Amino acid sequence: MIMETKSRSIIAMVMLVILLAGCYPQGPEYVDDLDVVITDYEPSYDFGAKGTYALPNKIVKITGDVIEGDEPQFIPDVTATAILAQIDKNMTALGWQKVDYANNPDVLLTPAAWETTTVLYYYDYWYWWYGGYYPYWGWGYPSYTTYSTGTLLMRMVDPDVVAGNGLPVIQWAGAINGILSGAYNATRMNTALDRTFAQSPYLKTN
Amino acid sequence: MKKLLIILFIVVSVPAFSQNLTTLEYSMGFATGDMGDFIDKPSFRGFTLDYRRLVQPNVGVGFEGGWNVFYSEESYAVYTQENVSLGGRQFRYQNQVPLLFSADYYFHPDETINPFVGLGIGTMYSRRNTDMGQYTLEEDGWNFALRPEVGVVYEVNPEFGFSLTGKYYYGFEAGDLNEPMSYFALNIGFVFK
Repeated sequence: MIMETKSRSIIAMVMLVILLAGCYPQGPEYVDDLDVVITDYEPSYDFGAKGTYALPNKIVKITGDVIEGDEPQFIPDVTATAILAQIDKNMTALGWQKVDYANNPDVLLTPAAWETTTVLYYYDYWYWWYGGYYPYWGWGYPSYTTYSTGTLLMRMVDPDVVAGNGLPVIQWAGAINGILSGAYNATRMNTALDRTFAQSPYLKTN
Repeated sequence: MKKLLIILFIVVSVPAFSQNLTTLEYSMGFATGDMGDFIDKPSFRGFTLDYRRLVQPNVGVGFEGGWNVFYSEESYAVYTQENVSLGGRQFRYQNQVPLLFSADYYFHPDETINPFVGLGIGTMYSRRNTDMGQYTLEEDGWNFALRPEVGVVYEVNPEFGFSLTGKYYYGFEAGDLNEPMSYFALNIGFVFK
């Protein structure tokens, strides 16, 4: 009788464990549940005193293997155009006026699609746009996060603010992790872009 | 999960004697304190396994092993630290595995309805995961733990009964978790004698 009781106990316990293991919480169900927006800024920079910005008409791919003199790769124009339009919409809503690079904008905003997780230092991918005003932009790998493949990365610099090493200071950076790694979804992208700027209210100009 | 199975194997391997109680319970958890701030939803995923050897008709000593996982899905929110802001949904998990030596006092050991009180002392493994995007922040610790308990056993026959217990687990701060970990558990289960 004792052995029977013990057997029943073990059987009941094993069944319970299997049942509980099967219903362990599974986490996110939808891919957009994984979207994370990261922003960082330089608090000493007076964004409110600025008003004009320049934006390229293409979005480069940061592949990590471009060397000096090489042409960078770009994401498809149709996708880039949609993303750039949404960026401009948000910047306009914050009071910024888009101007051509040749018209001395207060800041430059450079979006890129991050295609690698291994870049520590890379060549100036925007050479094609502004003609190499800076010989190299030593945009070191950000220390606060790891960008996954397919991240949309935006960075804002003021051409007149250069650090002691001769490199421009990044005044603002916004990243949307992983959003370009699958099929392009305009609604998802626009939502993420809107959130990027919404969580950066200090960008508003006076 | 692997650790859990090892713990279960050890517990199950202890032979049963005639003067003992083995209790298997389904456990519902309600986090309190810092745990409650982290996850305010109750846990409906958990179990405990208790073994008591009756050293007196109304005194049982033994051990307890168990597991509860707490889980919550947070709405989209922005988390800011200094100049950096992270916007996204957080998926929060907290696993609690108490491993305790226990002693119970039974008020009516010879009756059908047998209320009891007990105290457990030992350790509790706490692991907290905060998932955001493709990243997780994992914090864990082995807490020194105390566990008061009240309950009642309903004896169906001399070998089998049902149990209803309330337990409060309190783990002192340890490891990565710099706050005490605590939760209340309401359990229903089977008692094998």
